[in-house]
Amino acid sequence: MANTGWDEFEIGAMLRTFDGAIEDIAGTRQEDRNYSPNSSFTASVADWRIEKPIFNKDYCIDCQFCWIYCPDVSIISRDKKMIGVDMDHCKGCGICVEVCPTNPKSLLMFPELADEETEIASWPTKEEKEK
Amino acid sequence: MSEMKKIKNLKEFSTSADRFEGANLLCPGCAHSIIVREVLNATNDDLVLAASTGCLEVCTAVYPYTSWDASWIHIGFENSSTAISGAEAMYKALKTKGRLKQPDRNPKFVAFGGDGASYDIGFQWISGCMERNHDMMYVVLDNEVYANTGGQRSSSTPIGASATTTPAGSISYGETRNKKDMMGIMAAHNIPYAAQVAPNKWKDMVKKIQKGFATEGAVFINAVSPCTTEWKFDPKDTMMLADLATDSLVFPLYEIIDGHELNITYRPKNVVPVEEYLAAQGRFKHLFKDEYKYLIKEWQERVDANWAYLNRREEARV
Amino acid sequence: MAFDKMELRDIEVWDGNFAAAQALRQCQVDVVSAYPITPSTPIVEGYAKFKADNYVEGEFVMVESEHAAMSGCIGAAAAGGRVATATSSQGLALMAETLYQASGMRLPIVLNIVNRALAAPLNVNGDHSDMYMARDSGWIQFDAYCPQEAYDLNFIAFKVSEDHDVRIPAIVNQDGFMTSHTAQGVKTMDDDTAYGFVGEYKPMNDMLDFEYPVTHGVQTEEDWHFEHKARQHNDMMTIVPDKIDAAFAEFEKLTGRKYNQIEEYSMEDADVAVVCMGTSVETAREVALEMREKGIKAGVVGIRVFRPFPFAKIAEVLKDVKAVAALDRSAPGGTAGALFNEIAGALFNTDSKMLLSGYIYGLGGRDLTKKHLVDLYTELQANADAGKVLTKQQQFIGVRGPKLAYL
Repeated sequence: MANTGWDEFEIGAMLRTFDGAIEDIAGTRQEDRNYSPNSSFTASVADWRIEKPIFNKDYCIDCQFCWIYCPDVSIISRDKKMIGVDMDHCKGCGICVEVCPTNPKSLLMFPELADEETEIASWPTKEEKEK
Repeated sequence: MSEMKKIKNLKEFSTSADRFEGANLLCPGCAHSIIVREVLNATNDDLVLAASTGCLEVCTAVYPYTSWDASWIHIGFENSSTAISGAEAMYKALKTKGRLKQPDRNPKFVAFGGDGASYDIGFQWISGCMERNHDMMYVVLDNEVYANTGGQRSSSTPIGASATTTPAGSISYGETRNKKDMMGIMAAHNIPYAAQVAPNKWKDMVKKIQKGFATEGAVFINAVSPCTTEWKFDPKDTMMLADLATDSLVFPLYEIIDGHELNITYRPKNVVPVEEYLAAQGRFKHLFKDEYKYLIKEWQERVDANWAYLNRREEARV
Repeated sequence: MAFDKMELRDIEVWDGNFAAAQALRQCQVDVVSAYPITPSTPIVEGYAKFKADNYVEGEFVMVESEHAAMSGCIGAAAAGGRVATATSSQGLALMAETLYQASGMRLPIVLNIVNRALAAPLNVNGDHSDMYMARDSGWIQFDAYCPQEAYDLNFIAFKVSEDHDVRIPAIVNQDGFMTSHTAQGVKTMDDDTAYGFVGEYKPMNDMLDFEYPVTHGVQTEEDWHFEHKARQHNDMMTIVPDKIDAAFAEFEKLTGRKYNQIEEYSMEDADVAVVCMGTSVETAREVALEMREKGIKAGVVGIRVFRPFPFAKIAEVLKDVKAVAALDRSAPGGTAGALFNEIAGALFNTDSKMLLSGYIYGLGGRDLTKKHLVDLYTELQANADAGKVLTKQQQFIGVRGPKLAYL
C-alpha cells in the first residue's frame, strides 16, 4: 500500500476490518475470519520484543490467567486449553509469566533469540517454598 | 433484550472470540487493552464503539491499520461520548422507522476515553450524555495522567504524583490537588448504573459490565489502568500494580445504582498499606524522602476515610 | 409510515427559519442533534415541535453545546442515516473543530447556518463572519437570499451531500433576522413530492451494518494525510460542481424554480457589477434596475455556491465588465475581503481588464441601504470611465466616523 495514490483510497480514510461480510463476529474464531489487510491482526509487532515468553505445556493447568491478562491478545486458548503464544502479536511485556500460578511456571521469559526446544529441555524444576 | 453471555469461570470466559486485535501500538504491558478486552468479551452482542483521542485511540487506528473488529469511531479528544450517543440516536430512529439492515440484533453502544478525555476536556460532553440517559456505556481508562501527550497532570492525578506539569523538584512534591471524585459526580446524574472496576478483578468487572449492558440507559464505568510508562514500573508488573491499587483500597471497587444505592463489591482479605502501592511506582518516589513522609501518612488517612465513607453509604442504603 | 402528513397551501407565509424547519420535516431527517442559538434556534425548535405533533419520525437530541451538537451529528451520520442541525455565529465557532472532522470523514450532514456576527463585541444580528470562518472547513456552502431559497436549498443540500459520489457535508446559509425572521411568501412542495426529491437515505460505510464493521476517524500522519486531504479537495473541485448543477436542474424540473452556482442579474451587457451574498443581492438587484434607468449599465452577481467556489463561472461572467465591486460582510482582519480575493484570483491570469474594488459593509447587522448602493455604482462607473480605480481598493461603507479606506 505504500505507493498508493490519492485516488486509490476509500473516502474519509475509512477502514474495513474484514473482506466481505461476517455474520457473527463474536461467534467466529480468528482463524475463521476473513481479515482485510487493514486489520492489525495481519500486522506484526514481533520486532518490539527483547525477550519472549516460552510456553511449557507440561506444567500448564489451563487456568487462563495468561489469556485474560495478556494485553496483546497473544495467548491462544481454544476449547478452554492454552495452546500457545501468538508470536506476531506478543510484545514481550512478561505479564503472562508474572500471572502464571504454576510451580515451576509454565511460561518463562527468555532472550528473543533463545531456542525453544533447548530452553524447554532445561526448564527449571519446582521451587521449594521457604519454610 | 438479548441473552446475557454465560461466564461462570475463567475457562469458560477464555472461549470468547476477541473483537480487539493485537499488533496495535499500545506500550507493552498497557492495561488499557486488558480492560478493553474484558469489556468487549463480556457480551456476544454486536458492538458499536467510540474512543476519544488518547492512547487507546492513537494506538488502535493508525492508518492503514485498525485493531477493531466492530464498528468504531473517533472524532476528537472530548466527544467520544456524544459520538456514541449520536449513533445510538440513529439506531433508535432507524428502528422506529423499520430501516435497520439487521433488525434482530441487540447492539451495545460503548465509548472509551482516558481520564484526560473524561475528567477534564470531555467532562461536559459525558455529563450531557449521562443526563440525557442514552442507552450507552462510557468507560474511563483511568491512568491518572495525560499519558498520550507525555505525562501531564489531569484532574484525576492524585496528590504527590510527579507529572510533567506538576513535577516533583527541590521545593515541590508534585501534584497538590486531590483526585476528582468522578464516580460521585456521575452518580449524581441519577444514572441507572455507575461502577468502578479494575482489570485484575476480572470477574467483578465482567459482572458489572454485563449488568451495565443489561441496563437500559446510561452507564458510567471508571476502570483503573496502571500505566507502565507514566507510573514508572516494569511492564511485567501491570497486574501487580492493579492488585496493589484494589487491595490497598486506593481504588475501591463498588457500584452505585440509580444514583444512590451504593454496594461495595470487593473487600480485600488482607488490606495492603497504601505505602506499598506508592513504593511500587516511580511517580511517587520522592514521597519517600524524609520531608514528604507526612504525605504518605495523609494518603493512608485519606484512603481510610474514603473507605469508611463508602461503607457508611452502603450501610445506610440510601 | 406512522407519522402524519401535513397539508400545506401552495404558498405559505414563512420566515427563513420556519422554511428550513419545514424542509427538515419534509426530508424526514432521522436525527437532529442541536443546541439553540439566536437567530437559528427556531429551525431546531420547529423540528422538535413537528416531532411532538407526529409530523416527523426521528430522534431529536438536545445536547449541551454546539460542539456536542455536531459531535452527535457526526456519530449519527456515521451510524448511517439522514442528519441535520442548525447554528449561528459563536455556535459555529464552538463547532469549528468538528466541522473539519465531519468533512474529513466524508459524512453527509446538512447544517443550516443563520448568519450572525462573531463576538466581540457581542452581537446577535446578521453578517457573514461565521460563514467566512467555515470557508476552508471542507463543507459545501450554499447561500440563500430569502426564505424561499432557504427552503429550496435544504432539499438540494441533502441531495448533493448524500450522493455516494459526493459524501461531503453541506451548509445552507441565510442572513440572520433579515431572512430568518422575515416572513415572506414561500412556494411549497407537498410532502410526497418533497420527500421524493431527496429520496430515501442510502447508507454507505454505515456503523450499524453489523456484517461490515468499519473504522471511522483514523489517524494519518505525514505518510498518508496528504493523499486523503488531496482526495477531499479533488472531489470538491471535480465532482461536486456537476452534482450541484444536476440537482439544480432536477429541482427546476420539479418546481420551476431555477438555481445557478452564480446568480446573474442584468449582466448581459453590464459595464459595472456588484458581487455579493445574502439579502444584499436582492437590494442590489433593485438598485441595479434603477441605475439602468439613469443610463448606467449595472448588474449583480450573487454567489449561490460559496464552496466549491465557482471560480471559472465568476471569471466568465465578469470578464467583459469594466468595474466590479466585491462586497464582503465580514471584518477582514488585516487583509482584503474574502470575495475580493476570490474574484481577483478568478480574473488574474486572464485577458480581462476588469477593475476591482472591495467594500466592507453591514457588520453586525448594519443595513446596506439603497443609497449606499447608488453611491457604490456611481463610484464604479467613475472607475470605468477613468479606466482605473479612483479610490483605495478597500473601503468601508455605512460606518460612522472618518472615512476608512485601505490598500
